[in-house]
Amino acid sequence: MPPLIPAFDSAELAPARAAPDAVWRRRASWRAVVALPAGAIGATLVVGVLAMALLAPLLATADPFAFAAAPLSPPSFAHPMGTDAIGRDLFSGVLHGARTSLLVASAVTLLACLCGVGVGLLAGYYGGIVDDASLRATELFQVLPRFFLVVVALALFGPGIDRVVLTLGLTSWPVLARVVRGEVLVTRELDFMVAAQASGASRRRVLWRHLLPNVFPSAAVLLGLLFGQVLLVEASIGFLGLGDPNVLSWGVLAGQAQGFLRVAWWLSVFPGLAIAAAVLGVNLLADAVSSTMSGR
Amino acid sequence: MSTRFVLRRLLQVVPTVAGILLVSFVLVHAAPGDPVLALAGEHGDARYYADMRRHFGLDQPLPRQLVTYAGRVAHGDLGFSYVQGRSAAAVVMERVPATTLLTGTALLVAIMAAVPLGTLAGRRPFGARDVGVSALALGLYSAPVFWIGQLAILVIALRFGLAPVQGMITAGGDVTGLARAANVLRHLALPALVLASQELAVFVRLTRSGVIDELTRDHVRTARAKGVGERAVLLRHALPRALLPVVTVIGARAGHLVAGAAVVEIVFGWPGTGRLMLDALQTRDTPVLLALFLLVSLAVVLVNLATDLAYAAIDPRVRLR
Amino acid sequence: MTATPGGPCLRRLLLGALAGPLALTLGVACAREGARRAPRTLVAAIGGDPGHLNPAITTNGGVHTAAALLYDGLLTLDEQLQPQPALATRWEVEDGGARYVFHLRPGVRWHDGQPFTAADVEFTFTQVLLKFHARTRASLGPALAGVRVLDDSTVEFRFRRPYAPLLQQLDMVEAPIIPRHVFAGGDPLRNPANTAPVGTGPFRFVSYRAGSEIRYAANKDYFLGAPWLEAVVLRIIPDPATQVIALEAGEVDYLFAVPGPERERLRRDPRVRLLQATVNPGGSNCITTLGFNLDRPFFRDLRVRRAVAHAVNRDQIVERVLFGEGRAADAPISSRIAFAHAAGLPILAWDTARAAALLDSAGWTRGAAGQPRVARGVRGVADGTAFAIGLTVLPSQANYGDLLRAQLRAVGIDLRVEPLEQAVFSQAVFTARDFDTAIGAYCNGTDPEIGVRRMLVSSNVAPVPFSNMAGYRNPVVDSLFERAASALDPGERRRLYREIQELVVRDQPYVWLVETIATRAHSVRCHGFETSAHFAARARCGE
Repeated sequence: MPPLIPAFDSAELAPARAAPDAVWRRRASWRAVVALPAGAIGATLVVGVLAMALLAPLLATADPFAFAAAPLSPPSFAHPMGTDAIGRDLFSGVLHGARTSLLVASAVTLLACLCGVGVGLLAGYYGGIVDDASLRATELFQVLPRFFLVVVALALFGPGIDRVVLTLGLTSWPVLARVVRGEVLVTRELDFMVAAQASGASRRRVLWRHLLPNVFPSAAVLLGLLFGQVLLVEASIGFLGLGDPNVLSWGVLAGQAQGFLRVAWWLSVFPGLAIAAAVLGVNLLADAVSSTMSGR
Repeated sequence: MSTRFVLRRLLQVVPTVAGILLVSFVLVHAAPGDPVLALAGEHGDARYYADMRRHFGLDQPLPRQLVTYAGRVAHGDLGFSYVQGRSAAAVVMERVPATTLLTGTALLVAIMAAVPLGTLAGRRPFGARDVGVSALALGLYSAPVFWIGQLAILVIALRFGLAPVQGMITAGGDVTGLARAANVLRHLALPALVLASQELAVFVRLTRSGVIDELTRDHVRTARAKGVGERAVLLRHALPRALLPVVTVIGARAGHLVAGAAVVEIVFGWPGTGRLMLDALQTRDTPVLLALFLLVSLAVVLVNLATDLAYAAIDPRVRLR
Repeated sequence: MTATPGGPCLRRLLLGALAGPLALTLGVACAREGARRAPRTLVAAIGGDPGHLNPAITTNGGVHTAAALLYDGLLTLDEQLQPQPALATRWEVEDGGARYVFHLRPGVRWHDGQPFTAADVEFTFTQVLLKFHARTRASLGPALAGVRVLDDSTVEFRFRRPYAPLLQQLDMVEAPIIPRHVFAGGDPLRNPANTAPVGTGPFRFVSYRAGSEIRYAANKDYFLGAPWLEAVVLRIIPDPATQVIALEAGEVDYLFAVPGPERERLRRDPRVRLLQATVNPGGSNCITTLGFNLDRPFFRDLRVRRAVAHAVNRDQIVERVLFGEGRAADAPISSRIAFAHAAGLPILAWDTARAAALLDSAGWTRGAAGQPRVARGVRGVADGTAFAIGLTVLPSQANYGDLLRAQLRAVGIDLRVEPLEQAVFSQAVFTARDFDTAIGAYCNGTDPEIGVRRMLVSSNVAPVPFSNMAGYRNPVVDSLFERAASALDPGERRRLYREIQELVVRDQPYVWLVETIATRAHSVRCHGFETSAHFAARARCGE
């Protein structure tokens, strides 16, 4: 599936290219982000999707796996998104599915974040052989086709969200690692580092304190975009029939809707809209964050 | 210097590819599932499956299988497909042209559309046009690709009959030469546009931010101050350098699309490598799967190399390390 | 940053943006009048690449679908599953069913012009079918003493003991005859003819473009008369939804299967006709069956197995999974094998109250609301264990799992659906026996010997796909099957199979869910299809 690298790489390149001007390191404040139309729409969508996931047990009381009504009933007041071929309530499925989908995306993002920051820090801080080795590893992992790997892992070992998280999380960190490494290299040469050292402060602590705020904005953008990509990959996995049917997710629902495209439109429309809304939301938000921090 | 750089990069390809092959060999063989059980069909007796395993050398211990395989690969032999009984390399290579055509066209279309759109958006950030362009590109990007593909088939192909529904060439049609090219083009249009719609967002985003950056730079200001027309400023001074990141990403995308177009290939029945990968996974056709791994990693590495060279050619500031 | 005015530059940019998609669309418009389909050509859609086209070395359904038009068996089976002449015109059964002699049709030629002789039959059986055709090897292999050429047009089969079902096992699906002069010597699995086959069938092979299409041309010298069609194209379209759209758009004429939900829509479409078939290439008269792993303590208790059977609503499966395409199974042997199918068996009906009572009595006490039942004094199961079990399925049968999960939930059983690809499924279920329950589509074939015996006899609890999945062992059933295989009197066989079915329904190692049938669809442009393997031998298109 296409959207594996795209926004991810572009996000890397956009701030990095503006770097010489040094304006982009201005911290993104929430108020500034939301003041942009993209930021406002994005934040609304993201908050809405998050609310869906968090409030699922309250809003959708029907058991998403149990019979709710006649099979393939169109949307009605009792079942606002209709029912599927088995007779299960789709509204409940989409809301509970939000939890799985967002959980998977968050886990991947977190894993990629840990790996990326870890490798970047090590490489930038120690330099030398460590730097060389981690650069090699970064290049290797950038070469790995991620969608291919996820599909292979799921087809070989059977469906399961743990596999999705591991394969995507462990292969999505290189860009972040490079950003962190670059930032460490810049920071350690800065005047205040020299001053801090002279004043006897711990070099490591100073580095950490100055690094974090500087890396945070671009990392937020990168990880936000990754979040959206994971949702799309999850949808494609569902389409290929490799989703885990025991854990409802948007991808699994969209996959199950395949046979009903022209018979029961609601089955594909609602999960599809949920995916699109979430992906659009994080992308708009990431856009707004990156514009704010680049001072435009 | 450039030749040395190329040679060095090519040498780096060997361990990378060897590593990927080793990892994939272990991965594929460590996974549960027995190719013979999928291959032979049902209802045999136990001795039958044992015989078949021996037939394919699957009864050997894994390290020996690996040694045998590595030896063969070193001699350029990727083994026989379990399913098709012919060379795995041939099985994979006959699917490459279709995928190359599809992804190449999609990338080309995406870039041809994205560069003007991105420029348009970048000239006046957050203006109405910028918002419109971003909404279009992001909207296409955010919807699952199979959704867009199926909608395109239902509306454009079935409802309006503007394009064929599936395949790469008319079924059973005997066409050659120019007519054949036209026929393929007609089948190519819809899947290529759908795939391009997914790539559009990336390139628009890159072009846009590149243009924004370049327009604030000194050399552009200088050109403006000298009274160079706005069009010339944009096209001659800002755009070329704004497009550098676009070039980089083309490389990354092209390599990954060898397997990544699988969903579009399935929706449109396009006979490419992505579908071969899924088939090979289903039947556990290990030699074909490994050959695909090899192809994908080679494609990514080589395209990246080509990108680096192109980058250097466009931007003399980039030194080839 | 200063804003720049619009003007010609803007227009140019917009035009540029449209250039890419526009060029493609224009190209398409110019190419509208592309290739027209040749006259007398049928295009049929298949779902995947068969890989090769040799039905003698596999029972894989994809290969059999794609290769059926190329080959013949010694016999064919009619709608009532009675043997009819094909490559053999007549036959004698001697020695109480221990010796069969077949007289071959004179003048038959292979597609490459070589004459077809008894040597081809002998070679196909001894060198290929009995080694590589899983089903024929397993059923015929142990019983067959030898195949002998008596003269160029006569061939003899000798058995160790009387063997009744032979005549049902000699059709295209179970025993396609392949040419000796092409395959002799060398490895049949790597013979180039597997992808460029030579047969005797109504169509001959023309070309195979991987992932795209396989082409056949009429065999003008076919021994049952030349087909009306001049060419058949099998088009590979992986997405079932796309297959249907391609049929509606007129790009293909024939579908081997129609997705259930679309069927009603197509039935109302005046451009489309539907056909029903119980014969699928590679297997016929299939019963989708839920198997218990009897090695697991959960299912040792008959009451638990009966409770599950009571919890299953078969009619709902027919309605919501098959969309009406099939019937609730009412016996372990398919109703299509009329002589052996036992009517009026005490198959357990849907009754959740009864299921709950049985589970209660077996020591599975009700859990909290929405929670599964918990063991209290169940033999072999620690007290407090939840009744949560796995259901291993092929990915194509995951929807059975979704429905069964909902049905079993109602009686307090938690079902976890584990879809596994064929290669993993077979290994997990039949080799490792690492599963709780599983779904298998047991195709009964044309005789209980082919497809029923294998799931019930104890000797077939084996690491072999679609063998005795439950691990059911009953010496009485074993001996009844032995007697049924050698009994030549149909009345005697019927009686023995009825006895077997009564026994296994009582023991409930399986829940026989539904008998499936397949719906084919074709455009009204064409007619004259058969549901047998040679589906297009007499078809006509676009007259």
